[in-house]
Amino acid sequence: MLAESGYSWGEIRKGLDWSMCVAVLVLFALGLVSIYSAGSGVRRSTSGYAIRQLVWGAVSVMAYVTVLRIGYQNFLRWSYPIYAVAVAMLCVLIAVGTATRGALSWFRFGSVGFQPAEFGKVALILFLARFCSRYPPDAPKRLFSALALSGAMVVLILFQPDLGSALVYGSIIFAMIAAADTPGKYLAGIVTAGVAALPFFWNSLKAYQKLRLVVFLDPYVDPQGAGYNVIQSRIAVGSGGLWGKGFLQGTQGRLHFLPEPHTDFIFSVFAEEFGFVGGLSVMLLFAFLFWRLMRAAFRTKDTRAKLLCVGVSAWLWFQLMESVAMSMGLAPITGLPMPLFSYGGSSLLMEFVGLALVQSVAVSPVRDKLASIA
Amino acid sequence: MYNGLERIDLDKRLLYVRNIFIFSLSFLVMGLVYFQLVRADEYVELASGNRLRMIRLLPPRGNIYDASGVPLAVNVRTFDIKSYPMDLRSDESFGSVASLFARHGIPMTPDSLKESVEKQYVAPYRAVSVATNLTLAQVSDLVMDPGFSQALFPSPVWRRIYPVGSLMAHVIGYVGEITREDLETQRDPYYQAGDIVGKSGIEAMYEEQLRGAVGDQVVEVDSRGRRLRDVNYNDPLKGSDIRLTIDTATQREAARIMEGKRGALVAMDVSDGAVKAFFSSPAYDPNPLTWGISSKEWSALLGDKNLPMMNRVMSGSYPPGSPFKVVTAAAALMENTADTRTSFFCPGSFQLGNQTFRCWRRSGHGRESLIGALRDSCDVYFYQIGVKVGIDKLTKWARELGVGERTGIDLPGESRGTIAGREWKRSRRKEAWYQGDTVNYSIGQGFLLMTPLQLARMYAAFANDGSLVTPRLNAEKLPEMTPVKITKAHMDSIKTGLREVVRVGTGRVAGRYGVDVAGKTGTAQNPHGEDHAWFVGYAPANDPKYVAAVLVEGGGSGSSVAGPLVGQMLAYLVEHEK
Repeated sequence: MLAESGYSWGEIRKGLDWSMCVAVLVLFALGLVSIYSAGSGVRRSTSGYAIRQLVWGAVSVMAYVTVLRIGYQNFLRWSYPIYAVAVAMLCVLIAVGTATRGALSWFRFGSVGFQPAEFGKVALILFLARFCSRYPPDAPKRLFSALALSGAMVVLILFQPDLGSALVYGSIIFAMIAAADTPGKYLAGIVTAGVAALPFFWNSLKAYQKLRLVVFLDPYVDPQGAGYNVIQSRIAVGSGGLWGKGFLQGTQGRLHFLPEPHTDFIFSVFAEEFGFVGGLSVMLLFAFLFWRLMRAAFRTKDTRAKLLCVGVSAWLWFQLMESVAMSMGLAPITGLPMPLFSYGGSSLLMEFVGLALVQSVAVSPVRDKLASIA
Repeated sequence: MYNGLERIDLDKRLLYVRNIFIFSLSFLVMGLVYFQLVRADEYVELASGNRLRMIRLLPPRGNIYDASGVPLAVNVRTFDIKSYPMDLRSDESFGSVASLFARHGIPMTPDSLKESVEKQYVAPYRAVSVATNLTLAQVSDLVMDPGFSQALFPSPVWRRIYPVGSLMAHVIGYVGEITREDLETQRDPYYQAGDIVGKSGIEAMYEEQLRGAVGDQVVEVDSRGRRLRDVNYNDPLKGSDIRLTIDTATQREAARIMEGKRGALVAMDVSDGAVKAFFSSPAYDPNPLTWGISSKEWSALLGDKNLPMMNRVMSGSYPPGSPFKVVTAAAALMENTADTRTSFFCPGSFQLGNQTFRCWRRSGHGRESLIGALRDSCDVYFYQIGVKVGIDKLTKWARELGVGERTGIDLPGESRGTIAGREWKRSRRKEAWYQGDTVNYSIGQGFLLMTPLQLARMYAAFANDGSLVTPRLNAEKLPEMTPVKITKAHMDSIKTGLREVVRVGTGRVAGRYGVDVAGKTGTAQNPHGEDHAWFVGYAPANDPKYVAAVLVEGGGSGSSVAGPLVGQMLAYLVEHEK
């Protein structure tokens, strides 16, 4: 079947959304600059993170091209087995984690770590895109099946425990179900159930997780520990001012006032050095990126592809909102990476794979012109 | 056929979703406007000043007392001189601080100071120790020096000391600086580099109770590092005290009994598991370990061939030898393989195929039944019933009596020993279990390994008529008992045998200290050298209160070497009972 034979270089060149690629690469480059800056602290300087991120960037670009060549249709065709593999990986991780009595979120292959939670996001999006378009969640039974099947993944993630990723999964599921034309009253029901479950959720949290939520509400509760990070990050962002302090001039980052500057607090490093102008530019770039991601959704006739674009957008959107808001102390610390910015191999790689799937959707109308009538 | 989603329905929703994604970013932009434009001046000021300094106020640990209130682990106040890395940035300040200390007789060079600051570094505003463990006199001397920098300040700290030294070393353990690995693996981030934690013994077991709660102080300083005001102050909270079941006088008696021997002595109350004596010989002095011992002294301590750091009572696994015969007896009685009248002839050896297994008495014991066989420790009798019961039933009853599992004492690092058996041999040795193995097993030899504490607990179950007690050192810990499924009548038969051992049998010496003892001798073959001497017993024999087990490594005969030691310990305990 033609649609499942992948895309030729010619088709890709013709249909590619170049501006989307440029936006992604610019954001990645800005992230790389920030990672370099975060690494070059006073008395403890390393360019190791930046170099490794650059290598991961190269790997991610290769993955992007490969995914594009294969085409999203083939991924959707294999989406159920892919989802099963992701679930199995999480189960293994929990089993191993329980055996070693520690929280595990990594598989290690030599010096390279791999986080199944990141792979799971792509698997979940592919799965729901296919499932919800075959069985639209417009009746309670079908809605329930979609929620139960995708919710399994959330439960496994919570077992790890990885609260941040569970929230990302939740927002992906909600956005895709909402986009799949689920009646408004059901959506309201899901929200209500979520709110009602909050007290149980609070009780299930570990002490340090509660502390993070409490210091979000009042950083001065624990000014030495978790609260201090919030205060220091806010000082970093605020002291950036309009124009910023300039590349490699941020004192908060370089004097180690910021914890984990290259991952959790990467935006604080960036905002301190490039100020409001830099921060606003990044926001505009992301806005542009979301517009292009959704443009692909409007242009395709394939409902599965539409949902796929929504899923990828929701994923990046939630992590962006959370990590930037956290850097200003406007959201609790969850340790979620900022998309395309934060240091981290598996998250970057999976983000590129997700973006490549959407790009593949953008390319697909080239062929639809020939094949859709049949 | 059902056609799935309609494209047209979706596009309306997609429009909503897209607009939410894009326009919600304006919230983030509003945040940036607020912090980076509206309040920028305030934050620029905070960032450039870096005026906040933080000090962790460490609490004194809870004390540890013996049963009569004698302090076993307490704190003394000493002083650290602290500073903030950000105030020590320049090389001149390292130089002047180092020369200040050198002037007052505290050895320090700019390089050693720099190295120590690097090691403790967490953040520029978080205090590090420049010099530790100073007396009040030294501190006041330093502070009076005109060269005492604004960047330095004294801070009281608590030092752990153990007044009874090596006497309680294996019970109390010791404290030390938290290791890097422990810091990285801790799940609730309570500790920081340089914190003192329990490393072994009660100190480690009850760390959370003993440590108390860290206080903190956040101060604002001026541009020259002088304190302007406290921004935040939380008092540190002293840890809770712990009282032990063990008494120093009893432990001293145990140490005297074991003096000059390599081995272990443990005694406890048979009714509730309260440990009365717990001595591993030789012991070590925990005090230098908490003060920071040099790596040379540390390796000397670890390399000592008498292994003073090893807790022989609960971490040493030894072949139990004859004291294990009660398990073989219990298995035979419970499986109806033998009763008290069943007898075998002991010619001095036992023949299995072409293998010969000797009785310890080469000339043989003649005809023996259960009670007599226990009394004379006749190996051949137990070979016979052991083979008849079979290895699977033997391990079943061994497990029932606590072999191969931790006793659950409230100390870390306890060994399980080895219960062995078919499965074990197949997975560990890749070999089948032979009947010859069962023969050895039935007299407590071969692959079987037990700790002195496990044997004491096993005999306590006979002494208290049927419950495995969990040994406990913390007086506040509630007693725990697990009933053993051995009928009273069978228990009594075995107990009669154990009384006979001391009355007229191999353990007579144990009964010469003025109290009626019942127990079992053991001379366990040791593949690595001289035989180990065992005695496990309880007293008073007719109404048991205490159980005691003694192991002397390479001590030779259980009846002449270990027996009298248990006799003395039990006599002391019964005489000094309150």
